[in-house]
Amino acid sequence: MSTEAISVTILMIEDDEGHARLIERNIRRAGVSNPIMPFTNGTAALEFLLGADGSGRDSAGRHLLILLDLNLPDMTGIEILEKVKNNPHTRRTPVVVLTTTDDSREIQRCYDLGANVYITKPVNYESFAHAIRQLGLFFSVMQVPETA
Amino acid sequence: MPISRSAFLRSTLMLMTVGLGALAVVVATTIWLVGRTQDYFETVVQLRQARGSIVELRSQLQDAETGQRGFLLTRQESYLAPYVRAKEVLPVQIEIVRQRLGGRDAPELGQLTDIIGRKLAEMDRTIELTRAGRPDEALAVVETDTGKQLMDQARALLASLVTNTETRLNQQVEDQNANAQALWWVVVLGAGIILVVTGLGVWAIGNYTRELAAARREVEELNLGLEQRVQERTVDLARANEEIQRFAYIVTHDLRAPLVNIMGFTSELETSLTPLRSYIEKLDPPPADPDFAEAKLAATEDLPEALSFIRSSTRKMDGLINAILKLSREGRRVLKPESVDLKGVVEASSNAIIHQVAAAEGEMTLDMKTGPIISDRMALEQIIGNLLDNAVKYRRKDVPLRIAVRTRRTEKQRVLIEIEDNGRGIANQDHERVFELFRRSGTQDQSGEGIGLAHVRTLVRTIGGEITLASQLGKGTTFSISLPQDMRKATGSIAA
Repeated sequence: MSTEAISVTILMIEDDEGHARLIERNIRRAGVSNPIMPFTNGTAALEFLLGADGSGRDSAGRHLLILLDLNLPDMTGIEILEKVKNNPHTRRTPVVVLTTTDDSREIQRCYDLGANVYITKPVNYESFAHAIRQLGLFFSVMQVPETA
Repeated sequence: MPISRSAFLRSTLMLMTVGLGALAVVVATTIWLVGRTQDYFETVVQLRQARGSIVELRSQLQDAETGQRGFLLTRQESYLAPYVRAKEVLPVQIEIVRQRLGGRDAPELGQLTDIIGRKLAEMDRTIELTRAGRPDEALAVVETDTGKQLMDQARALLASLVTNTETRLNQQVEDQNANAQALWWVVVLGAGIILVVTGLGVWAIGNYTRELAAARREVEELNLGLEQRVQERTVDLARANEEIQRFAYIVTHDLRAPLVNIMGFTSELETSLTPLRSYIEKLDPPPADPDFAEAKLAATEDLPEALSFIRSSTRKMDGLINAILKLSREGRRVLKPESVDLKGVVEASSNAIIHQVAAAEGEMTLDMKTGPIISDRMALEQIIGNLLDNAVKYRRKDVPLRIAVRTRRTEKQRVLIEIEDNGRGIANQDHERVFELFRRSGTQDQSGEGIGLAHVRTLVRTIGGEITLASQLGKGTTFSISLPQDMRKATGSIAA
C-alpha cells in the first residue's frame, strides 16, 4: 500500500476461523502488511465500528477497509453493511463482501446498499487462494479515505 | 328424511294407480247408472202409456154403456153407434192394456176382461130384447142391477189399475232420484279421491324435487369446497417444495464452508510438506538416528498418500455438493412461461450433438406434430439437451446410432415428447433408480456424477410435466415426457 495509506487497518468480519486464517495467509502472501483485525461475529464488529453508543464517532479519523462475510451467527452481513453505509462516520469506508453466496438477488442488494466490491468465495482452494492474493494486490494499490 | 329414488317411484306409482282406479270406478259407475236411467225412462214411458190406455179403456166402456142407454131410451139405431164402435174396439184396447202393463196386474186385468165380457153380454141382451120389440123385458134386465154392479166393479178395477200404475210411476221417479243421488255421490267421492291422490302426488313430487334441488346445491357446494381444497393443497405443496429447495440450498452452503477449510488447509499442508521433504531428502549422509528413517518415510510416502486421499475425497464431496446446489438452484430459478416452439428447441439441441452423431455414423429423425406451447424455454432446452446427450453418451459402439424425436398432442391439453434411441438400454430394475440423485446404471465406463436424469426429472416436474421411460437392455431406451399445453394452468401457484 502507498505510504499515506500505511495506517489502513483491514477489518475482517468472518465467523469461520479457518477461512479467516486462510484469507489472512493469502493476503500476507500478496505482500500486504497492514494490520488485520479479525471479528468472528457481527455484534463485536459493529461495536468496534460504531462504538458502544452506536453513534460511529469512535471511527472518526480511522483508515479502515472492511472484509465482510454475509453468513454470520448473530446477524447477516447485510445488516452490518446497511449500518456502516448509513452512518455518517463510516459510510466512506470501503466494504468488500467476500462470501459463499452467489445468489444474484443478494449481490444486487449488497451493491444497492453501497458495497464497493462483491466477491464469491471460490470453492476450489487454488482458485480461492488465487482470488485472495489478487484481492491483496488490489488492496496494495487502493486508496482508502479517512473516515469523517 | 330424504325420499329415496325407489321409494319415490313406488309411492307416485301407487298414487297414480289409486287415482286411475278411482277414475275407472267413477266412469264405470256413471256408465252403469246412465244405463239404469235409460231403463227407468223406458219403464216410465211404458207406464204412462199403460195409464193412458187404461183411461181410454174406461172411456170406451163408458161410451158403450152410454150408447146402450140411449138406444134403450129412444130405440133409435143412431144412438147405438158409440156402443157398436166401443164393442169393436174394447177387445183391442184390452189387448193394448195387457201389452202395455207387460204382465203387471195380470189377475186384475183378467178379472176386468171377464167383467167387461159379462157387461157386454148384458148390454147385448138388452139391445137384442129392445130390437125384438120387448123393451119391458129389456128394462127388467136393466132393473136387475146386474149391469150397474158389473159397471161399478169394472170402474173400481180400472181405478185400482190406474192407481197401481201411478204408484209404479212414482216408485220409478223415486228410484231415479235415488239413482241420480248415487251418481252424484260416486262422482263426488271419485273426484275427492282423485283430488286427494293428485294432491299427494304433487306433494310427493314437490318434496322430491325440493330434495333433489337441495342435494344438487350441496353437491355444488362440496364441489366448490373441493376446488378450494385442491387449490390450498397445491399452495401447500408449492410451499413445501420451496422449503425443501431452500433447505437443500442452506445445507449445501453450510457443508461447503468447512469443505473450503479442509481443502484449504490440505493445500497448506502440502505446501508446508514440500520444503520439509526436500530438506529430508537432501540430508547426506542421512543421520544415524533410527527415528530419521521413520520421519523420512512419513514425509515422502505416508503424508503425501494421506493428503492425496483427503484431496480425492474432498474433490468428490465438492462434486456432490455442487450437484445438489445446481439442482436446488434450478428449483429456485423463477420460471418464465412463454410461447415456446418445441420444434425450434429440439432442432437447436440436435444441432449441438450433430457432430457426435455423425462421428458415430448415426442419424437423427425428427417428427414434430405440435405447435408452440406455453412453458419455460430454458427448462425445456435443458431437458431435451440432457436426454440427447445421454442418447449419444450411452450408445452401443457396435451399431450405427439412431435417435428419433417425436412430439404429438394427447388428450386434456397435453403434449407428449418421445426421445428414442437404439443405445445400450437400462436394466428393468434400474428404470426408477436412474432418476434418483447420484445413481447410475450399467457399465460405469462413462464419466458422470449421476445427476443428469435427476436434474431432468426435477425440471420436468417444475414445469408441470412427468417423465417416464421404456427400455430394454441392449436394445434401446425411449423417454416419454408429458407436458401441459400451458404450464400456468398446470402448476398454479408453483410458477407464481
